Amino acid sequence: MFQKRMYLALTGLMLASAPLVAGDVTGKVSFSGKAPTPVKLLMSADPVCKKAHPTDVYSEEVIVNKNQTLKNVLVYVKDGLGGKTFPAPAEMVVFDQKGCMYQPHVLGIMIGQELEVVNSDPTLHNVHSLSKLNTQFNQAQPMKGMKMTKKFDKVETFKVKCEVHSWMGAYIGVFSNPYYAVTGDDGSFTIKGLPAGEYTLEAWHEKYGTQTAKVKVDATGKVTADFGFKG
Amino acid sequence: MEQVATSHAHADVHGNHEESGFWRRYIFSVDHKVIGVQYGLTALLFLFFGFTLMTIMRWQLAHPGEPIPALFFVVPIAAIGILVFFASGFKPSINMLLGALFIGMAGIVYYLTSGDERFPGGIMLPEFYNQLGAMHGTIMIFLGVVPLAVGAFGNFVVPLQIGAPDMAFPKLNAASYWSYFLGGTTMLVSFFVPGGAANSGWTSYAPLSVIATTGQTMWLIGMIFLITSSLLGSVNFITTIVQLRAPGLTFMRLPFFVWAQLVTSFLLLLAFPPLEAAGILQLMDRVAGTSFFLPSGLVVSGQPLQNAGGGSPILWQHLFWFLAHPEVYVLILPAMGIVGEIIANNTRKPLWGYKSLVYATVFLGFMSFIVWAHHMFLTGMGTTISTFFQTTTMIISIPSVIILTALVLSLYGGSIRFTVPMLFALAFLPMFGIGGLTGLPLGLAPPDIHLHDTYYVIGHFHYVVAPGTLFALFAGIYYWYPKIVGRTMNTTLGKIHFWGSFVAINFVFMPMFIQGLAGVSRRLYDGGQQYAHAQGVLYLNNVMSIAAWALGAFQIVFIINFFWSLKRGKVADTNPWQATTLEWQTPTPPPHGNFLKEPVVVRGPYDYSLPGHATDFIPQNDSDHSR
Repeated sequence: MFQKRMYLALTGLMLASAPLVAGDVTGKVSFSGKAPTPVKLLMSADPVCKKAHPTDVYSEEVIVNKNQTLKNVLVYVKDGLGGKTFPAPAEMVVFDQKGCMYQPHVLGIMIGQELEVVNSDPTLHNVHSLSKLNTQFNQAQPMKGMKMTKKFDKVETFKVKCEVHSWMGAYIGVFSNPYYAVTGDDGSFTIKGLPAGEYTLEAWHEKYGTQTAKVKVDATGKVTADFGFKG
Repeated sequence: MEQVATSHAHADVHGNHEESGFWRRYIFSVDHKVIGVQYGLTALLFLFFGFTLMTIMRWQLAHPGEPIPALFFVVPIAAIGILVFFASGFKPSINMLLGALFIGMAGIVYYLTSGDERFPGGIMLPEFYNQLGAMHGTIMIFLGVVPLAVGAFGNFVVPLQIGAPDMAFPKLNAASYWSYFLGGTTMLVSFFVPGGAANSGWTSYAPLSVIATTGQTMWLIGMIFLITSSLLGSVNFITTIVQLRAPGLTFMRLPFFVWAQLVTSFLLLLAFPPLEAAGILQLMDRVAGTSFFLPSGLVVSGQPLQNAGGGSPILWQHLFWFLAHPEVYVLILPAMGIVGEIIANNTRKPLWGYKSLVYATVFLGFMSFIVWAHHMFLTGMGTTISTFFQTTTMIISIPSVIILTALVLSLYGGSIRFTVPMLFALAFLPMFGIGGLTGLPLGLAPPDIHLHDTYYVIGHFHYVVAPGTLFALFAGIYYWYPKIVGRTMNTTLGKIHFWGSFVAINFVFMPMFIQGLAGVSRRLYDGGQQYAHAQGVLYLNNVMSIAAWALGAFQIVFIINFFWSLKRGKVADTNPWQATTLEWQTPTPPPHGNFLKEPVVVRGPYDYSLPGHATDFIPQNDSDHSR
C-alpha cells in the first residue's frame, strides 16, 4: 500500500515537473527609424494577376506593422542544441502562389519535411529556388491546381522566385530542428517546447540582415527575447 | 533485306577472298551499299521519331494546358512495329529488328508523354516543350536529313554512278556510320537523364545552354560524334569522286547528283570543324569551369553567376552559324541532285543547262561561307557589316534561282512520265520556290527586325526542308528502291502517300507565315496564347496541328508500302526506269565490287531521246553510238 502511494506520488511529481524541462521563447521584433515607402507592384503584364488585385498591391520586402514591429522576420535557434537530431514532421508545409504573390512570404521548414508548392492562379508560374547548398529546382506550373512536393537536406535560407512574374519572391529557411517561427502582423513570435538550456537565437530579415540574442530557458519555462532593427 | 547482301557466287572485281562472318558482313560491313542501307534505315527511324516529337508539340500548341491523349501517339507506332515484327515471320532479319525498334519507339513515346517531370496530370510542362523543340530540330537535321541525303543516298549511289567498286576508304566509311550511330544514341539517351534532354534550342545559344540541365552536356557529346562522322564521310566522298571515276567519266560528264554530293562534302569538310571546336569549348564551359561563352558579370535569376567570365555569347553564335548556314546547303544540294536525276529520267530529255547547274552549284558552295551573319542581324551588329551580309545573302539567291530555273526549264518539251518519284520531284520545285522566296525578307535586315524569331522563320525553313528536301528524298527512295531491293514499291500507295502529304504539308506550314507576320514568336510553349497580338491568328494552331497529324497518317501509308514491297513488290529488272546513269547498268542488287566489268564512260549522263536511236535512252557506258 505504501509502495503504491509512493509510485503515485512520484508519478505526480514527474508530471508536475514536466513543464520545467522545456520552455517557450516569445518576443517581438521592433522597427525604429523611418519606414521605407512601400513599393507598388505593377502587375499589368499579366491580366490574371492584374484582375486578382482590384486595389494597389505593394512589395512585401519590408512590412512595418502598425505597432512599429517588423513582419516576416524569421527567428530561430542558431546555437545551443548540441548535436541533437530531430525527426522531420509528417505534416507538409504548403507554399501557395495566389494572386501572383507567394503565400507565405517567409517560411520555415525542417530538413526532410515535405514542402507542397501549389499554383492557385489560372496562369503560368515558375518556381525557381536560388539555393546554394540545397539542390536548386526550376519548374513551371502552367495550370491552376498543379502541385509539386520538394524536400531539402541542408540548413540554409534562400530565396525562391518566379521567372515569369519578376516581382514574386519568397524566402525559405531550412532547419535541422523544429525551433523557429516567423513574425506576423503584430511583429511577435513564439518558439515552443525548447528544452532547458542556454541558446543563441537569431532573427533574420531579408533586407535588414541578422541579429542575435542569448537566452536561457530555465525553471520558469517562459523566456522573452526581443529584437530591434533600424531602418 | 537479304537481297542487299553481298553475293560471292559470281567472280567479282576484287578476286576471291574469304567469306565474311555475319557480323562483318551485315553489321560492321565496309561495303558502301550495306553502309548506305544502314544509314538509310537508321535515318528513317530517326526522322519518324523526330516527326513524332513534333506531333506531340502540336498537341500542346492546339490544346494548351489540356491533358494529352497519349495513346493517340503511342498506338500507331506500336501497331506498325507489331505488324512489321509479325510480318518477319519471326525469322531473325532486318524486318524483325525494325519491328522491334518501332515497338521500342512506341515505348519511348509512352514514357515521354507521361511522368511528373514532363506531363503532371497529363499536362505538358513548358520545360518539356522546350526539350521537344530542341530535339525535334536536332534530330531532324543531324540524325535524319543529312544522314539520309548524304550518308544513305550518297554512299549507295555515288560509287555506282561513277563506276567505282566502292568508296575510296571503306573502313573510314564504316567508322563514319558507327560514329553517327553513337552520336544518335547519345542524343536519344539524353531524354532519360534527370532534367531531360537538351532544351536550349537546336542552336544551343550560350549562356542559356551553358547553365542548362545535364541533357545539354549529352547533346554536345552527341554533336561531337556526329560532326566527326560527317568529317570522316566528307573526306571519303571527295577522294572517291576525284580519284575513283571510271575511265572516260570526266567531271563534266558526271551526273548532277554527284556534283551536288561533291560540293556538299566540301561544305561539310570546311564548315563543321569550327562547330566541333565550339562544341568542345561549350562542353568545357559546362563541365570544366571555363568561360569561353560566359561574359563577366552575368546575372542569372537575380544572382551573379560564379564563373571566370571574360567570354562572349556572340562568339558562340558566330561559330555556330558559320557551320549552320553551309549546313542548310548540305540539306538542299543532295535533294536538288536527286530531283535533277529524276527529272531527266522522267522527261526523257537531258537536263537544261547542265553547265549552268554545275557552275551555280559550285558558286553556291563558295557563297554559303560568307552569309552566316544574316542569322544574327538582331545581335546589335553595325550597319556596315550588316550591309555586307545582306549583299552576300542577296547574291547567293542567284545560283539558287539558276538551279531551280534550270530544273523547271528541263520540263519544257519533255515527255513527262508521272511516276511516283516524278510526282515528288515536281512538287519539290514550287515548294522550294516558296521556301526560297520567303527567305528574301529574312535576308534583308529591315524586314528581319519584324520577322526574326517569329513563326515566319519556321515557315520559311520548313518549306525548304520539308516539302523541299524531304520530298526530294522520298522521290529518291521510290526511285532507287528497285536498285537496292530488286522490287518496285507499289504505285497506288505511292500516289496516295504523295497527294496526302502534299496537301497536308502545305496546311502545316503556310499558316506559319501568317502567324509570323502577326508577330507570334517561335519557341512559345503555348503557341502565343498569352499575347494580345496573337489572338487573331491563334485558331491557325488547330489547323496546323490537324494537318500535322494527317501528314503523319500518310507517312504510315509509306511505311506500309516500304515493308510490303520488300517481299511482295513487283520484281524489277536491272533498269526499270530506263535510265542512262551507271548505277542502272549493273545487276540488281549490285554485287560486291559493283561492276562485273569496269565500265568505260563514253558519253554524258543524260543522253535521252537522241534522234535516230532505237531506244529513247543511251546508257553512259554504251559505246555503240559514242560521240
